[in-house]
Parts: sequence; C-alpha cells; structure tokens
Amino acid sequence: MDFSVLTDHAGEIGSGFLVTIWTWVGGVLAGVIAGLIMAVIQLSAGPWVRGVLRCYIEVIRATPFLVQLFLLYYGGPSLGLSLSPMAAGLIGLGIYGSVYFAEIFRTGFTSIPRGQQEAAAMLGMTPWQIIWRVQIPQMLVLILPALVNFTTILGKETPVLSIITVPELTFVLTGVGAETFAYVETLLALCVGYFLLAELCSRLGQWLERRASRYLTQGVQQRRALKPRESAA
Amino acid sequence: MNQSAAKRGAGDVMLEARGMSKRFGDHTVLQDINLSIQRSEVVCLIGPSGSGKSTLLRSLAFLENYDDGEVFVEGELLGYDRASDGRRVRSRPSRLSDVRRNMGMVFQQFNLWPHLSVLENVMEALLRVRGMKRDDAHRLALATLEKVGLAEKAGAWPNRLSGGQQQRVAIARSLAMSPAIMLFDEPTSALDPELVGEVLQVMRQLAEEGMTMVVVTHEMGFAARVADRVLFLDQGHIVEQGPPTRLFRHPQSPRLAQFLGNYLERNSLFEAAPALNRVDD
Amino acid sequence: MFDLALLVQGLPLLLAGLWNTVWLSACGLALGFLIGIGVCSLKLSERGALRRLGGAYISVFRGIPLLIQLLFIYYLLPRLGLDIPAWVAAIAGLALCSGAYLAEILRGGLLTLPVGQVEAARLLGLRGRTILTRIKLPQALRATLPALLNEVILLIKASSLISAVGLAELTRTAQNLAASSFLQLQFYLAAAVLYCIVNISLALLAGQLERRFEKGRA
Ligand SMILES: Nc1ncnc2c1ncn2[C@@H]1O[C@H](COP(=O)(O)OP(=O)(O)OP(=O)(O)O)[C@@H](O)[C@H]1O
Ligand SMILES: [Mg+2]
Repeated sequence: MDFSVLTDHAGEIGSGFLVTIWTWVGGVLAGVIAGLIMAVIQLSAGPWVRGVLRCYIEVIRATPFLVQLFLLYYGGPSLGLSLSPMAAGLIGLGIYGSVYFAEIFRTGFTSIPRGQQEAAAMLGMTPWQIIWRVQIPQMLVLILPALVNFTTILGKETPVLSIITVPELTFVLTGVGAETFAYVETLLALCVGYFLLAELCSRLGQWLERRASRYLTQGVQQRRALKPRESAA
Repeated sequence: MNQSAAKRGAGDVMLEARGMSKRFGDHTVLQDINLSIQRSEVVCLIGPSGSGKSTLLRSLAFLENYDDGEVFVEGELLGYDRASDGRRVRSRPSRLSDVRRNMGMVFQQFNLWPHLSVLENVMEALLRVRGMKRDDAHRLALATLEKVGLAEKAGAWPNRLSGGQQQRVAIARSLAMSPAIMLFDEPTSALDPELVGEVLQVMRQLAEEGMTMVVVTHEMGFAARVADRVLFLDQGHIVEQGPPTRLFRHPQSPRLAQFLGNYLERNSLFEAAPALNRVDD
Repeated sequence: MFDLALLVQGLPLLLAGLWNTVWLSACGLALGFLIGIGVCSLKLSERGALRRLGGAYISVFRGIPLLIQLLFIYYLLPRLGLDIPAWVAAIAGLALCSGAYLAEILRGGLLTLPVGQVEAARLLGLRGRTILTRIKLPQALRATLPALLNEVILLIKASSLISAVGLAELTRTAQNLAASSFLQLQFYLAAAVLYCIVNISLALLAGQLERRFEKGRA
C-alpha cells in the first residue's frame, strides 16, 4: 500500500473534510431549528395542523435519505427549484434531520410534568415564556443524550451527499481513488476519517453532558430516561 | 374558633360559579355547581376520592375549561369571551392571565421548577410577568420566603428540600405575586405526616391575615379550625355546605354522615384524640 | 413533469426494484441477526478479550458510515481476488452493519431480564446453552420485537445505498427510469411512495406489537 496518494492530494482532501464538517454542522443546525419549531407547533396547534405535521414526519421517516436528496436535487428543477449540489445537500440534511429532532424535542416536552406549566400559567407567564423559561431549559438537559446520538447519526449520512456530487470527503477521496486506482488507501482513509469524526462527536457529547449535569438538580437527572434512537445508516 | 366576621370586607364576591358543569367525554364530573366566595372567606372542599374536588378547583382557575355555566373572578368572566354573535369563545391566553392576575394556586405536587433555585423560583414571575427590576424582585422574593420561614434556603435547589419546605416555597412563589384569592389542591397530601403541620401553619397564618382561600383538603382538623365554610362534594354535586361546626357535628345528608364516619374510623385507629379536635400546630 | 403512461410502463420495473430491495434487506437482516447474536454473546462473555472484541466490532461497524462499508466491500474484495457478484456484496454489507446494531438491541433485551429467572433455571439444573436458547433468547426477542422491526425499517432505507454500487434495487431503478425519461420528479416520487407503503406498514405493525407487549406486561 502506498499512502503517498493521500499526501499528494492533501489540499483536496482537506477541503473535502471542511465541506463534510460544514454540511454536518449546517444540517444539524437547520434540523434542530426546524425540529424545534415543528415540536412546538405539534404541542400548541389544533388537531388538523397536528395531523398534517404528523403525516409529514412519518413520510420523511419512511423514505431513504438518498431518495429525498434525489427528489430535491433532480426533481426540484421541475418545480422551478434549481439547487446547487451543496444547497440541496444542506437542505436535504436539514429536512431529514428535522423530523427526528422534532420527535426528540416532542418527547422532551411531554416528559416534563404538566403541573409545572400549570404553575407557570397561574403566575401569569405567557405560553412563550413557559416554553422558553420552564420547558426548554429542563428539556434540553433531558434530551441531550438523544440529541448527541442523532447528531452522530446525521454525520454518518453526510457521505450520501457525495452521490449528488457535493464535494465532501467521500466525494473527494473516491475521486482520488478512481483517478489513481488507490482504492484501498483512499477507502481506508475514509474509514479512519469518519470513525474519528464519530468518536469526536461522542466525546464532545459526553463532555457536554458532564457540563450540563453540573447545572442539574437531582430531580431533572432522575427523569432522564429517554432512550437514544439508533440508526443503521 | 372560626374567623370573626369582622375581618371580612364589605362582603364583595371574589369568586363565583353559576350553573357550572364539566364533562370528560360522556362522564359528567361536575354538575350545575353554584358557588359564591366572599372576600377573606376561607372555604374548604371535602369529599370522597373522585368526587370532583380537584376538577372543581381547577375549573375555578380555568386549568380545566368548564363546559356550561360561568365562573366569575372579581366580576369578570373567566376563560371565555363573548363573541359578537353572542356565542362564547375561549379567551386568548393574555386575556385569561389578565382575569386571573389576582389568583394564586398551590398544587398537591408543588410543581416547583427544578432547574431554578428556590429564590429564582419565587423571582421568575416577578421579573417576567410583573416586569420588576432584579433588585426589587430579589428583595420581595426574600421577604416572601422569610414569611414562610425559608429565607435561609433561598440559594438551595428545590429537590434538596423536604416536601414540607417545597410546598412552603410553592406558597411563597404564589404569594409573592400578591394574589387576592388563593386556591389550594390538597397541599399536604403528598407530604409525610410529620411535615403536614408546617404547611398548615403557613396557610392558617394566611387565613388570619384575611386571604380569600379555597382549599381542597382531607385535613378535617384544619377545615374545622380555619374554614368559614365547608363544602361537601359528592359525585360532582355540592351535597351540603355550611360552617364547619354544623357540618361536622350535625351532618344532614346520609352521605356526609357516612363520609365523616369513615374518616373518624380511619383516623381514630391511629390517633389518640378524635380528629375533629386535633390541633394542627 | 408527469406522464402517466410512462409511469404505468415503468411500474413493473419499479415493483421489481422494490422486490429486490425487500429480499436484499431480508437476507441482510437474517444474516445480520446471526452476526448480532454472535457479537452480542461476545459482548456478554465473561472473558475480557472477547468482550473487547465484541465492543470493537460494534464501534467499527456503527462508527463507519454504511456507504463507505459498501464501497469497501465492493472495491476491495475483487482486489483480493474474490470475484463475488454485486448482490452478495450488498447483502454482506447490510448484514455486517446491521449485525452491530442488532447486537446492541439484543443485549438491551437480555439485560432487562430479571436475574432471578436465570438463577431459577440454574437451580433446576439447566445448562448455560439451554438457558440461553430456551429462556433468555425467546424473552429477549419478545421484548425487543418493536426495536427489531424498527431496525428492519432502517435497513430497508439503508438498502437504497446499494444503488451506489449499481444494483437495480428500488432507488437505482427509479434513477434509471428518471434518467431515461427525464421525468425526474415523477419516478423519484414513485419510489418514495413505494418506500412509504412498505415502511409505514412496518411502523404500524411495530406500534401494534409495542402496545400489545405493554398490555401483556401490565
Ligand atoms: N383529565 C381527565 N380526564 C378524564 N377524566 C378525568 C380527568 N380528570 C379527572 N377525571 C375524572 O373526574 C372525576 C373527578 O376527579 P377529581 O380529580 O376531580 O376527583 P377528586 O375529588 O379530586 O379526587 P381525589 O380526592 O382522589 O383527588 C374522577 O372520576 C376522575 O376519574
Ligand atoms: Mg384531587
């Protein structure tokens, strides 16, 4: 094996790595924000809106991320929505992530005893104040493990973006492999790269959880029974 | 001794229910409730489990939206607005908060916010609802905690406190907003027996200071000593009401007599003194 | 944008693609299940080295994205002189990856079993392997059935990545039809609908089983 192909293409590989990180972070941010909005709507909207949102979530969860990407990237132009690979990738990751984040947030919201909201309402706090001041601070701590877990899962979806030619790590390295026939070296580098990213993410998560638990009172921690979701992809 | 009539104000009605009913599905939990509570009056709600006491109290605060009839808080309709076509529609949250601005509530499960310290629990609504300055809110919160005897616990986390202390914090949190009416839903039922007294003591002090109170309770001793009026609720109806002495000594309805009989039987097994003469402090 | 006639024309191909998706996933799951049992017993073994081996398997195959694993198998095995058909590579990829997830699901199921049951079985003179196959596994399976079904859904979705190595499963079929007809939206939507039908049915089944299980436990 000859790993000099890697050093020869260090510049491209580095930029692919940055693109991977950027799509990952961007996808997570978009997903978290959209997911939080969806969860809040699910909590407060009427049955009709809730039903529609529920269907949307189930449909996104039932279809492969790759098919969603194809729909967005190749199907988009027929609807007048021409996206660059990068934009399609980011939006796709955001959409895919948002429904899972929404579920995590929803479980978090419902795991906080109703009485706490009632107490706040009786003191005159507005629905927004209750969400921001009472529910979200507690919920974030409860769902942190699930959030970290799904963030890792979303990271493992980023290689799929290479299929619609987003120039991220997998795209760059498979390209280098095809060009130099150094398949083994480039694939090994990919394995190591993603493995390290996953490790980094889970370490970061553990650190965050430790920090958060310092702020926590026993009561919040005791209810921290949310099981993180797993994914095969 | 019951409260002297002298402490009462001009007899203005603080809280009123007219023909109010509440259903859960096809199960009618409250039926045609009529109730009027005067300023500084202390009303205790008693009744068997499942009779609808909590539902009644929660409807009076619009934590349950009652189906028929009306609830008035200091003369204002609670929870609904009249639409232009005469039908009634649910109030917007801001309107609801406005009508119950003078109402405080204390829950069986305390419902303190575990992510905030004791002091922050009390300060939160002062800051966000009253819009007070931090210093003022801090001062008022400390003073209120002082009143329930917990000023030294200001920095503690709620979950580190005993149940009795938590409930006193909850009372302080509500009290700091200077309510005119306070609702209590079995405030001592989640407490170990030896912690009941400290909470009842605080409530009694409030009653003596002229707070209008509606208390759902199983503490007959408290009802006998502090209430001006006791309501006996059974299967969603107010079966009997009146001053505690009359109700406890001369129950008119067989159901109340049976309820009290059960209560005495249960408690006299464990307590030397008959429950009705029990001293709470 | 849409062309019903072409859709009808392409439908048999799409259904054939769906069939490939389903049986490849099913084979991947079945093999993955065997791997899962193996890795799970490694992970629960009393020997530290075996436990670490199981742990390493799980973190490697869960840590590396499935697409990379598939590419690895697809490109690497031929270079080692193993000329295997694409579908074998696909099943192997799905099995290796799902094995890691299934091992964790099974371990979760086994760990929730009351210790007393195993002790009781030991007292009755049952041997280790009998206890595992007759007492522990059946219960763990029952307890983890919803999670297992969920894993099936994830696997069916994951199998769309097989398209990247050129196998004509559902996604690849849709891709081919879309490219040849220029009706991209139509054929990707059709594929999405087919995935939905399969996966939502599975999700409903999982929900039903979960409810029944919860009732049984109450
Ligand atoms: N959210 C709800 N949905 C459906 N039924 C309810 C709900 N809340 C209460 N009920 C029913 O209404 C009836 C009255 O309940 P409520 O809690 O008011 O009784 P209670 O007098 O407070 O009893 P306890 O002394 O046990 O607290 C009960 O039959 C109860 O099952
Ligand atoms: Mg009650």
